Amino acid sequence: MSVLWDFVALPLSYGFMQRALVVSILVGAVCAVLSCYLVLKGWSLMGDAVSHAVLPGIVLAYIAGLPLAAGAFAGGLACALLTGFFKENSRVKEDTVMGVVFSGMFGLGLVMFTKIETDQHLLHILFGNMLGVTAADLVEVGIVAGGTLLVVLLKRRDLLLYCFDPQHARAVGLPVRAIHYTLLVLLALSIVASLKAVGIILVVAMLVAPGAIAYLLTDRFERMLVIASAVAIGSSVLGTLLSFHIDGATGPCIVLLQAAVFLIAFLLAPRHGVLAGLRKPAGQAAGDLPRA
Amino acid sequence: MSELLVPFEYNYMIKAMWVSALVGATCAFLSAYLMLKGWSLMGDALGHSIVPGVAGAYLLGLPYALGAFFAGMMAALGMAIVRQRSRLREDAVIGIVFTSFFAAGLLMISLYPTSVNVQTIVLGNILGIADEDAVQVVVIAAVSLAILLLKWRDLMVVFFDESHARIVGLDPTALKVLFFTLLAACTVAALQTVGACLVIAMVVTPGATAYLLTDRFGRLLALSVAIGSVTSFAGAYLSFFLDGATGGVIVSLQTALFVAAFLSAPKHGMLAARRRATTTREVTS
Repeated sequence: MSVLWDFVALPLSYGFMQRALVVSILVGAVCAVLSCYLVLKGWSLMGDAVSHAVLPGIVLAYIAGLPLAAGAFAGGLACALLTGFFKENSRVKEDTVMGVVFSGMFGLGLVMFTKIETDQHLLHILFGNMLGVTAADLVEVGIVAGGTLLVVLLKRRDLLLYCFDPQHARAVGLPVRAIHYTLLVLLALSIVASLKAVGIILVVAMLVAPGAIAYLLTDRFERMLVIASAVAIGSSVLGTLLSFHIDGATGPCIVLLQAAVFLIAFLLAPRHGVLAGLRKPAGQAAGDLPRA
Repeated sequence: MSELLVPFEYNYMIKAMWVSALVGATCAFLSAYLMLKGWSLMGDALGHSIVPGVAGAYLLGLPYALGAFFAGMMAALGMAIVRQRSRLREDAVIGIVFTSFFAAGLLMISLYPTSVNVQTIVLGNILGIADEDAVQVVVIAAVSLAILLLKWRDLMVVFFDESHARIVGLDPTALKVLFFTLLAACTVAALQTVGACLVIAMVVTPGATAYLLTDRFGRLLALSVAIGSVTSFAGAYLSFFLDGATGGVIVSLQTALFVAAFLSAPKHGMLAARRRATTTREVTS
């Protein structure tokens, strides 16, 4: 018992660990909720693209003396809009366009970054610096994450219908275009909120894994939201504590815990897991069930 | 004028430019196929997935290419298994597997910080590449290029029309496995040149640019390889004057070419499409 107590209490006696835990919970929750929609919509890799594309935005904001979060947001959104523009005006496929746009923006960001004098660490932008989170950062993350969560939860039915069946959403009179852009904005915002904690590369995992895990475990969307949040918050807390004890990077610890949960769900999920699929008669394997 | 020739006076620059050009050419060759199949993000996924292999190889003192290649194959296998056995969509499967591999690599590096520099892996460091690593890169790229030159027609037939390929006696599965092996090998080579995050540009952008410029697959390949090798060579050259970020410069050049082609390609460019639209309107009115 005392071992367990030390595992939790020792890290919490440090201020930077308390702040890291709060940030990781916030980020975990907001990414988890959004990931449910992204998994259903098939936008998992959109998170990958948008997150890389924030780099030039951050650099430009630094040069202009604007808040870095604003620059990051603008960069991420620009990537999504440019992808749409290139796709509509050429015959190149969407995934290719996405790859071209975000890698181009990331490359440009790197070049600009090496040309400016800055006190920002590139590796902190790329991988986050959870243990270096300041009180001011905490407030910023809290506002962005809180706002994003609020909008998602208020609009969850509209977003859900749009992700499931855009045609139907249009038919019942929902403003489909507006919802599309709302989802993109929410995605960019949650990435901005996650920058400090996990960095732009691993935020992709936060935006995919919880939703995917929950999708394997339930067929009801409301439950999916709850499971995804629980998994994400649990791995965030445990991962942060673990990284303190093994003296390893925080972001990767969180992501690997999520990966472990995914593996367990993949194998053992009651209805959609591999083992459940083996028990069922042939022809009714896990993959054949109708989608949630 | 002589200032522009300064990079050619340094051995490491000459080495970097030629190695980059070779890697750029090979990746560009593959990009023509990837882009047509809509598998672009596989390039990104593999680029990140090989990181734990690189970290492990450095840790154990093995050739980095060996570890990277092994990790890449494991990731591809993992994606295939999860894809087949779960009801998740492909994009989510790719996302989960590659981020997990990447995170494992980063954790290894953070636990054993001396073995390898994380910046080198993520951003590449062709200007400072060690000789034995350069040899690995050159061998991988040259062998892949040779195989591609021998098999490009077979691959084309399989990628365009599998049933036709089967009729003419090709083995689509074997050729696809060959293709993904080559892709993994090339991401390993590209990792040293532009780093894990920008590998995707090397295996997507040249092909996409060429696709806007021509309708013939043979020409598409030639154009793509030309774009890939020239931008890589020029990018390495330019990065001398910019003090580094070779990968960023190469990819920026490739993206600039793509944007130029997107706007002003003779047939498939946006401006040409606008012009066509106006002429049709004039003719009909």
